[in-house]
Amino acid sequence: MAEDDLNDKGLEAFFAAGRENAPVPSDALLARVMADAEAEMVRPAEVAVLRPAARPGFLRAAVASIGGWAGLGGLATATAAGVWIGFVGLADPLDAGGLITPSLSVELMPGADSFMTASAEE
Amino acid sequence: MALDERDGWSDDDLLALYARGDPVAARRLTHRFTPLALRVAQRMLADAAEAEDVAQEAMLRLWRMAPGWQPGQAKVTTWLYRVVANLCTDRLRRRRTVPLDAAPEPEDGDPGVAARMIAADRAAALEQALAALPERQRQAVILRHLEGLANPEIAEVMEVGVEAVESLVARGKRGLAAALSGRRDELGFDDG
Repeated sequence: MAEDDLNDKGLEAFFAAGRENAPVPSDALLARVMADAEAEMVRPAEVAVLRPAARPGFLRAAVASIGGWAGLGGLATATAAGVWIGFVGLADPLDAGGLITPSLSVELMPGADSFMTASAEE
Repeated sequence: MALDERDGWSDDDLLALYARGDPVAARRLTHRFTPLALRVAQRMLADAAEAEDVAQEAMLRLWRMAPGWQPGQAKVTTWLYRVVANLCTDRLRRRRTVPLDAAPEPEDGDPGVAARMIAADRAAALEQALAALPERQRQAVILRHLEGLANPEIAEVMEVGVEAVESLVARGKRGLAAALSGRRDELGFDDG
């Protein structure tokens, strides 16, 4: 019957006892939970992978603007050619005939003629 | 020690640190939340071994959700209470019957038992009475009167309205009062 039931004060005594005697995790349970935590923990290397990709730096952006590394190679070739043309001082860089069939004489052994002449005279 | 320096750290902060691989945060979270999970599980299931399994499983889910946790969106404790409650519900549905003999009986047969009644005996009697309540009433009473949650938070945990929580708690308390009233003398009450 309701009038025989515990009132709120009586129930609160049970609740207080329940709170005071709350179950406490054993060391073994805490160890198992910690083991799970470590097994599930993201390693620093994985964190690096998970991070958003870094923004391209100045060099990467500059290379990309000229068509990537292939473009850079072409630019380097053109630059080297320009330097060489300027160095040899060609009046007309488009005179390919002059470049391909140069009328140059190369003396591989300077003074060889006088050496031969001297030998013949002996 | 670093652990002590983190006493004032929020749950959100610790979860974020754990998600970045901080083992000290893992330890702090373990000690902060495992007792909560175990308390609720044991009171819901009235079985120490099953309660430990539930607590460990709930904590495992905490570790796995940490990287995706949105700080400030919800309380970690509310999330954990809900996970524990759901895990307990799953187990209760599987076994269908509650082992009423799981909780130790208060001392009996001793003429001086009322005078020597200690809080542990009352707690054991309460655990038995809780185990006899319908599951939802039991959950509401545990969260309200043993865990000290406010009704709106209980409503969030149980995914019901606040009025439903009030009703569940009230009916649960009536059930407990009826179950325990027969043991008033035994447990040293004179009902003032």
